[in-house]
Amino acid sequence: MAGAALLALCQTTVFHQAVLTSSRLRYVFLAWISALSTSHELITRIAEGDRDALASLYRLMEKPVYRFIQSRLNDPFEASDILHDVFMEVWRSAGRFEGRSKLQTWIFGIAYRKVIDRHRKAGRTRLTDTPDETIEDDAATPETCIAAGQDAAQVRHCMASLSEDHRTAIALAFWEDMTYREIAAVCKTAEGTIKTRIFHAKKLLLRCLSGLSGGVQA
Amino acid sequence: MTLSRREAEELLPFLANDTLGEDERRAVEQAVASDPTLAVELAALRQIRQTMQSQQAVHSPGEFGLARLMRDVEKEQAPARSVVTDTSRPRLLQIAAAVLVAIVIGQAVLLSGRADETGGFELAGGEAATLNVAFVPDAPEATIRALLLQAGVEIVSGPSALGLYGLNVIEGTTPSAAQEVLRAADDVVESVDRTD
Repeated sequence: MAGAALLALCQTTVFHQAVLTSSRLRYVFLAWISALSTSHELITRIAEGDRDALASLYRLMEKPVYRFIQSRLNDPFEASDILHDVFMEVWRSAGRFEGRSKLQTWIFGIAYRKVIDRHRKAGRTRLTDTPDETIEDDAATPETCIAAGQDAAQVRHCMASLSEDHRTAIALAFWEDMTYREIAAVCKTAEGTIKTRIFHAKKLLLRCLSGLSGGVQA
Repeated sequence: MTLSRREAEELLPFLANDTLGEDERRAVEQAVASDPTLAVELAALRQIRQTMQSQQAVHSPGEFGLARLMRDVEKEQAPARSVVTDTSRPRLLQIAAAVLVAIVIGQAVLLSGRADETGGFELAGGEAATLNVAFVPDAPEATIRALLLQAGVEIVSGPSALGLYGLNVIEGTTPSAAQEVLRAADDVVESVDRTD
């Protein structure tokens, strides 16, 4: 069984260190296992109560899901709790996964909703589709951005300066290499909304990186 | 398929992450080829994406998180399993189980009676933590694991909402000796306290 062999491979430390720590390789691997229906086999086994399958999925998805949650919360303890809740929900709801979307999209969607729930409980106001900031067409100078974009600290600073919705769109596009359709599925919103968000997020990010919006001095 | 400048700009990040379908990709590439500003913007976005992807230092809960998940899953699974199996269990097994339970209860009563006579027994299961420890947030899991082995302790609970883990000493180590070892590793351990 190809699926069982792949699951066994996922559980090895060497595989974990060599493949799952690289975002690009992880993406390629996820695409590959999707093609082989292994992710569906994983979720089917989880639905049947297979804890090893849950552990494999956790090892595969834990880092990107945690990074996504933390990018929206900026609190490592809260992010750990939500990550835990996400995988508990995966465990409880695996039987309801219909396979209409990718497994990755389904799990990120759960994480997205958990963060919103946490915000609601904490009484934080979440700004959804806030009026877009007015951005001059020539506000950013992309040439400067190419250099600034190499500086991880500046990129982090400028990402942090974005609104939560804008940051989410960029994070899913650039960290997880999701399509705009997948991002829309995660955020349960229209594709056009995601395109608009990413349009403005990109403008603000480039403007920040070109130093016109108080970019960090490295 | 021809795109307006706005449409091309909206899709530019998805050309940068190489996730566009064939038609859209061709249309955006066409727009980029005819507009040098878009070409520079695309280069900047590719650079940002590359920088973000190269930042792999995610201090996620890792194996600790997995242990916590497995513990809670087990807690949740236990009653569910018994409900499922009860319906299919043969009657003979049910009787045997009832007899077994009666024996266990009888023994428990007997032991608790003796415990009163001898000054008390301590149950082996459900052990409480003897040490509470908080690790430095970015301490690598491998370093923590090595330190726990060196100190002769194991994690029995946590992390709590405050990020505290409960530890117990393994046979052959004392809580105070373990505490000393943990306290000395101040690059890994933020705080360590006895619970007694």
